[in-house]
Amino acid sequence: MMSGCQENILDLTPPSTLTEVNFYKTNADMDAAVLGIYSRYQARISKDWTLTEMPTDNIHRTGYFNIGGLDEINTLSFSPENPLFSSFWINTYNAIFRSNALLNYIDVPTDYPANKKEQYTGEAKFMRGLLYFDLVRRFGGVPNVTSLLSVEESREKGRATEDEIYELIITDLKDAIDLLPEWKTAAKGRASNAAAIALLAKVYVYRQNWQAATTYLDMLDNQGFGLQSNYASLWKEETEDNDEIVFAIKYLPSVNGQDLSTDFLPYFGVSGIAARGSENAFPSWSLMKKFHQDDTRKKATITEYWKAPTSGAEDPEIWYPYVRKFANQHVAGASGLDIPVIRYADIILLKAEVAYRLNQPAEALAQLNKIRERAFGSAEHNYKAADIASEDAFLDVLLLERQLEFALEGERWFDLVRTGRFITELSEIEWSYNPVTKLAQTVKFKIEPHMKYFPIPLNQIDLASQGVLKQNDGY
Amino acid sequence: MKNLKDLGPLVRKVMKVTFCQMILISLLYGLSYAHSGRAQDLLQKKISLHAQNQKIADILQTISKTSSVRFMYSPELIGSERKISIKAENKQLDAVLDEILTPLNIEYEVFNRQILLKRTASANTPDNTSPERIRTNSLAVIKGTVTDEKGEPLPGVSILVKGSQRGAVTDTNGSWELSLSEGETDAVLVFSFVGYLPQEINVGNRQLIDVKLVPNSTELEELVVVGYGTMKKSSVTAAIAKVENRNLDQIPAGRAETALVGRLAGVNITNSRNTPGSAPTIRIRGAGSITASNDPLVVIDGFPGGSLANVNMNDVESIEVLKDASSAAIYGSRGAGGVIIVTTKKGKTGKPQLNFNTYVGVGHAIKHNDWISGQEYYDYQARYINRDYAWQGGDVTLPMDDIRRPDNMKVNSVIKEGDYIWEDILLNAAPIQNYNLSARGGTDNVSYYVSGTYKNEQGVLLNSWYKTYSLRANVDVKVNKYIKAGFMLNPNFNDRRTAPVSMEAIVKTAPFVSPTINPNGTYPRPLDYWGTNVSAQVSPFATLNGIKNTSSAFNNVGEMFVAVDLAKGLSLRSSLGGNITYSTAESFTAGYATTNNLNAGNATDSRSINLLNENVLNYNTTIGDAHVINVLGGASYQKATSRNAVLTALPGTFGNEIIETLNNATISQVASSTSKSVWGLASYFARLNYAYQDKYLLSASFRTDGSSRFGPQNRWGSFPSASVAWRISQEEFMKNADFISELKLRASYGVVGNFNIGDFRYLGSIGNAYYSPNGILTKGQAQTSFGNNSLRWERTQSKNFGFELGVLNNRISMNIDYYIKRTNDLLYDVSIPATSGFSNTIVNIGDIENQGIELELNTRNFTGEFRWETAFNISKNNNKVKSLGGIDEVINTHTRGMAWLLRVGQPMFSYYGYKLKGVLMNEEDVQNNPIISGSKPGNTKYEDINGDGKIDPNDRIILGSYLPKVVMGMVNDFAWKNFDMSVVMQSSLGAKMYNLENLYYQGATVSAMRRSLVENQWWSEAEPGDGKSPATALSQLAYVSNSDFYLEDASFVAVRNIILGYTLKPEILNKIKINNVRVYASVSNALMLTKKGFNGYNPEGFTSGEINGISSMPGFNNGAEPINRVYALGLNLNF
Repeated sequence: MMSGCQENILDLTPPSTLTEVNFYKTNADMDAAVLGIYSRYQARISKDWTLTEMPTDNIHRTGYFNIGGLDEINTLSFSPENPLFSSFWINTYNAIFRSNALLNYIDVPTDYPANKKEQYTGEAKFMRGLLYFDLVRRFGGVPNVTSLLSVEESREKGRATEDEIYELIITDLKDAIDLLPEWKTAAKGRASNAAAIALLAKVYVYRQNWQAATTYLDMLDNQGFGLQSNYASLWKEETEDNDEIVFAIKYLPSVNGQDLSTDFLPYFGVSGIAARGSENAFPSWSLMKKFHQDDTRKKATITEYWKAPTSGAEDPEIWYPYVRKFANQHVAGASGLDIPVIRYADIILLKAEVAYRLNQPAEALAQLNKIRERAFGSAEHNYKAADIASEDAFLDVLLLERQLEFALEGERWFDLVRTGRFITELSEIEWSYNPVTKLAQTVKFKIEPHMKYFPIPLNQIDLASQGVLKQNDGY
Repeated sequence: MKNLKDLGPLVRKVMKVTFCQMILISLLYGLSYAHSGRAQDLLQKKISLHAQNQKIADILQTISKTSSVRFMYSPELIGSERKISIKAENKQLDAVLDEILTPLNIEYEVFNRQILLKRTASANTPDNTSPERIRTNSLAVIKGTVTDEKGEPLPGVSILVKGSQRGAVTDTNGSWELSLSEGETDAVLVFSFVGYLPQEINVGNRQLIDVKLVPNSTELEELVVVGYGTMKKSSVTAAIAKVENRNLDQIPAGRAETALVGRLAGVNITNSRNTPGSAPTIRIRGAGSITASNDPLVVIDGFPGGSLANVNMNDVESIEVLKDASSAAIYGSRGAGGVIIVTTKKGKTGKPQLNFNTYVGVGHAIKHNDWISGQEYYDYQARYINRDYAWQGGDVTLPMDDIRRPDNMKVNSVIKEGDYIWEDILLNAAPIQNYNLSARGGTDNVSYYVSGTYKNEQGVLLNSWYKTYSLRANVDVKVNKYIKAGFMLNPNFNDRRTAPVSMEAIVKTAPFVSPTINPNGTYPRPLDYWGTNVSAQVSPFATLNGIKNTSSAFNNVGEMFVAVDLAKGLSLRSSLGGNITYSTAESFTAGYATTNNLNAGNATDSRSINLLNENVLNYNTTIGDAHVINVLGGASYQKATSRNAVLTALPGTFGNEIIETLNNATISQVASSTSKSVWGLASYFARLNYAYQDKYLLSASFRTDGSSRFGPQNRWGSFPSASVAWRISQEEFMKNADFISELKLRASYGVVGNFNIGDFRYLGSIGNAYYSPNGILTKGQAQTSFGNNSLRWERTQSKNFGFELGVLNNRISMNIDYYIKRTNDLLYDVSIPATSGFSNTIVNIGDIENQGIELELNTRNFTGEFRWETAFNISKNNNKVKSLGGIDEVINTHTRGMAWLLRVGQPMFSYYGYKLKGVLMNEEDVQNNPIISGSKPGNTKYEDINGDGKIDPNDRIILGSYLPKVVMGMVNDFAWKNFDMSVVMQSSLGAKMYNLENLYYQGATVSAMRRSLVENQWWSEAEPGDGKSPATALSQLAYVSNSDFYLEDASFVAVRNIILGYTLKPEILNKIKINNVRVYASVSNALMLTKKGFNGYNPEGFTSGEINGISSMPGFNNGAEPINRVYALGLNLNF
């Protein structure tokens, strides 16, 4: 009787929680597990700006300090202790773990409908490739994890080389291209064959493998992608699913929302947009002044004059520039606006870049002007051949166009780093601007070449066995 | 054997007053003393005795020692100097007693192991039978009644005229009468009774002398409750502290714990949140765990796992705290945080008694007194603005309303006009009331204690309260000679509404904001006065009225038991108990109460059922004359199931704000769910207590627990303990050292466990992970934690060395304990490389050590008509991280820059940050000092610890700890005639608090300002302040709050409670036919002294709580509530 009683008391199973023992068994489980990968990415990407926009000339900090470590990123003092590096690292490897878990258990279920097993495998590989691309662009070579590790194994996991990581990315994306469904049939917000192609093309651009890049970029022709005629419509929930979106992370208002839309709004909110903002960063004058007055992207990206929602009708607007790009109407902290990962505009500018590198300046100019014309609604401001006469001149134009087109979308830092321009472009930045005195606040930074990589998070180095995880040079 | 009936009342009385605890326990645990068969055994016991012309008292003491019986008698009965000779060889005890006592006209009766001596019935008129009686002319006849501390008559008390052998004994009604001769009017009467302090009374002209005797609390025969039983205090070998409920139920407080503050060495009770009904933190000998709970195990009437929230002080008989591992090890599995044993009142054989206790009082918050308002407030705001403007390069000489200033650099003169001190507006007198009615009584076969309580504690903040309705019934039934049974029920309902915000969020409201209501029903906000630059805060009234957080819980602890005597000395007790809780919590937020104008709501229902079966075998025996052995063995099975349901409304979806329930809103799919969990614990335990001649004491126990919280391979943990004590004072060679009444050395070692980590942590769990493909919310899933099959019990080993000394008949008694408590195999959410997929996982790694010393000193300073007793305690605990499993430190940095550090060799969670050296006075200072990049004049000048010319994270150092260095408590009890007074003091020294809330009272976001926080600041080069206070503002926190600037010394000395009571005289009571009436007045928190420079309301007010995992921020204060001073009047009636 005693032992019966004892078993009854001790041999219990969780009544409300699945465990690794009884999960990963069916097609439905695997579908849910794939969504788990996207879910982690969805949670991370809305704060990616803290590492990819904050150190650039696009934005600068405000008086509010809601995010630990942000100020040091803003002043380009990258310290290995900065919690933003480690939280990025942790979240990304967690999503990689979810991908690896899916691939690890993919053969267990036996009830897959047609093509589902291939689709899940392709999605996991696509996401793993994307995640490693995120890592390698920030840190250089990182630990290469493609299986489920024990705690002990993880302590012994050192860094692979940058080349090895790119090799892994390219293999994963190539596999994904073969396995994933067509863009037209894939669910919005889930990976498609086109998304994998686009990402792989971009990877080849980063690798400066122009030939391979052009091969993959060309594969995206005639798939139905195109630029939206109205740039601002990209940042509206009603029109967020459109032909320009190659791949985006989807959100739903309130129930599954993001806080990016709230991050840049004035603390007291903006009438018709949100009742409250986090005021985490202001647009820098360095960015604002580059917009031509007629550029429709300016208004879609930045609002200069603001009025407190509570002030009276007769009160004047005050100079209070804030980032407008993601400011759709939303509940503070839970916006339904999707966050694009690859827009077709990016494909076009990559094509321009690749064409120029392959010595096809006319093609490059044509691609550049597609973006230009959409921005201005006319060909009036198109670039001329003379504007890209030299390589430096082309790079100036390309980087400017990428900055204006993708402001706050996480491209600027990588574009500057991969073109070697970050030292010159970021040494002096204009932060705030006084419209009365017409003076901007200029800040200077000492940028060093080693800063092209962020430091490996110190806590990760400490957690690995002694000497296993090496710090980047210079930190 | 004499007639038991005659003796009944006396015996019952004696049992009641002296051995109540023993009876209680024999009822509870089935020790088989209390039936008459046992008495025969005792009297038939064979003894040998040789005495030549010895005092009778000494002879009785010898018998008492060799045969483990105890005699009860009033000293007068025997005569202190009378000597006899006796020789007995292996004779029955009753024969020996007859031989000694019959000639003295003394008869005896046996109860438990006690032998009560009494004058033979035929000779029971003291005046006539005392052999030493001096015949005098009886001029005065004086009489009176003797009662016990509760006002009940006390029979058998001896009254002796001091300096003579004449006297009297009280009868069954406690009455006595005595004739005094002429010239004896200045006589002094000595009242004495076993278990009570003797009392001397000057007769004077009085003819009626009523006396109330006070129990001798330091009496060595006092019993203490230990796990699964009781022990004589003198036999205790471990560190156990005991508090009896003398006046604890008179302290006006919502929670039982409050009454224990300052009374127990090594038990630190802190009330970090002073909201009605909030649970204090109890730490016994420091915290040893990071991830698992450090809370002590609460055992209520033998039921482990109870909550002090459901304990009503009126029902409490005593509270014992098992501090060291050797005493707690019998609860092995859960004893790591110490064990608190609550024993409630039980029925007593005798006349039914009705008690009515009540107090009503009013609480006032102890407030700040340095608020700034009006013109001065305007001036400080202007300085604020100008400081910002100067940093931006603006021209501060421009007038405040000059159009050349940017809008946000102007000060609106409207702020001069209001001078509302919001603290005064928000904190109001709050009533507290408590009513308790209890009935207690019983026959020889059935005894009962039933009680009902209603308590209502209102908060000083609008719309906050804590109400309790509770009943308790304890019934004990003696079925026959061998079987007893008992039932205990304690239904308890409480209802609570709490303020939705901490203090700083509302008290900081700027003085120009009016508290009046607008005609349209809304409340004015700061923005309404001054649109620019002001916080979006709503009126505190909107917050307090518009956010309704209510919760209620119904709880019942019920238990039934059967105890059977199986054989001589052997008994079995089997019990079945349940702790059932149903609770609900609801929250509704009206749109007007929020800054974003979105209404919100949620509702939670939970239920938990915790069932326990315990079976304990107990065996007592005495071998030969001197070996007393008690063996106990048991098995216990516990299973707890819980269910939780949460419904959450999507923000802003309430159709209107009239209906506040969730049927009026759209339910959030992601945030609504039900869940269940379960855990089980199977335990087997044994204990041996052995005493040789009451001199050498040994106790050893072993417990093994199996828990469902660990994987099958590591489910079981074993927890042994052993302790020894040597009562030196019992040794022959100490017999002459009369002034030493007790001298004892103790040593113990034990292991206890901890499994408070939540259910099924050993399994990798799969959690929900939502995503919205195609714009449709879809539930995905992902593994959210690592499984760890090797997870096992956290173990705490502790060594304790104790020294007990009592001198001058225990008028001064002292306990000193030294302990080392080492927690190994820490259940610790250790950080792991992220490449594993997770950032942490729970493992058994790391060691924490707590080492400390405790001293308790009890003195009876005066014992006559004026009595004064003092109980003082002081304790010091050193906490140290010994190992973190291979890594040296873990730093948890708050967004404001302060960090909490776990570092090997240092106390857990020390403050870690930059050291403030001064203030950067001017631009030159900024150039010439190592600074944090971006620093301006007015920012902090930091200590460059490593001297490398720059300030970076390498310059951070340990800045102190939230842990106090020394904690003291002192209780003084006074009594004079019918008055009594008790004063409880508490002091804590050396703790530091991170008072981040200060920034809100420094004017950030145009909030209220406190003079002490702004007047010494750096305002400009021309107004540099005291050179130690940097410029503060929200935008400047990165240059301030990462240093020790906001660290404040939280040492304090407090008078926690004063009670002054008056008991009505018996002659009045007789007229109104009430046994006892006592009225009292009390003041709680009469005095709270903190150090200069401490700016918080409550030196214990930590809003982030204490240690609760790897990201703990103990000592962090951001808006803890003020302490209340409570004035109360109380009444005790006994019918």
